[in-house]
Amino acid sequence: MFVYEKRLQYPVKIKQTNPKLAQIIISQYGGPDGELAASLRYLSQRFTMPIPELKATLNDIGVEELGHLEMIGSIVYQLTKNLNEEQLKAAGFDAYFVDHTTGVYPSSAAGVPFNAAYIQVKGDPITDLHEDMAAEEAIAKHNVFLRLI
Amino acid sequence: MTTREILLRKISTYAFAIHEYRLYLDTHPKCEATIAKIRDCEEKLNPLVEEYERKYGPLKKSNDNSKKWTWVNDPWPWEGV
Repeated sequence: MFVYEKRLQYPVKIKQTNPKLAQIIISQYGGPDGELAASLRYLSQRFTMPIPELKATLNDIGVEELGHLEMIGSIVYQLTKNLNEEQLKAAGFDAYFVDHTTGVYPSSAAGVPFNAAYIQVKGDPITDLHEDMAAEEAIAKHNVFLRLI
Repeated sequence: MTTREILLRKISTYAFAIHEYRLYLDTHPKCEATIAKIRDCEEKLNPLVEEYERKYGPLKKSNDNSKKWTWVNDPWPWEGV
């Protein structure tokens, strides 16, 4: 059961439209190391986790990732708000726009739609925890690349 | 920052601290020091939430006690206003 809180975990208030940046950041939304993958990974793995502390951790982290997903979605939404045709073409955002306009669609930066193959759920705690560690390391690397923008 | 944003920033700060303490408790459920820290933060957080909801509407649906359903009111969190 989930209860929504009408606030972001950290406020997002973007003043400058920037579709080029949105196109990169959307990978954090629905890309291979994105927040959607992270939340589904933890929320799916928790069912077969045998240890109480780890059931709680997977459950609570999975929920927290949904909060992260919301922040990233807000960033993408605000970065593409009030776009004009010129900005859209100059930023190379037209390829995204033709399919989704300014809708926030879970996909990678290269436009690949979200895919559950990004995650693994094996029903074995050691296997699943290894997948979690690999995924978190990938996310950490991915975040470093985001900083280069 | 507007008064609303300042208030929400304070709420987010305490709520984030509580959230992190609770994650820590998941793997250290017997840590009384952490439970005490959560109580301290909650004492600071609760009046801020009450003030915010009184002025700007409910943060949770269940806290909408007004005669009108103010839950639907703009802005929503992703709108950045």
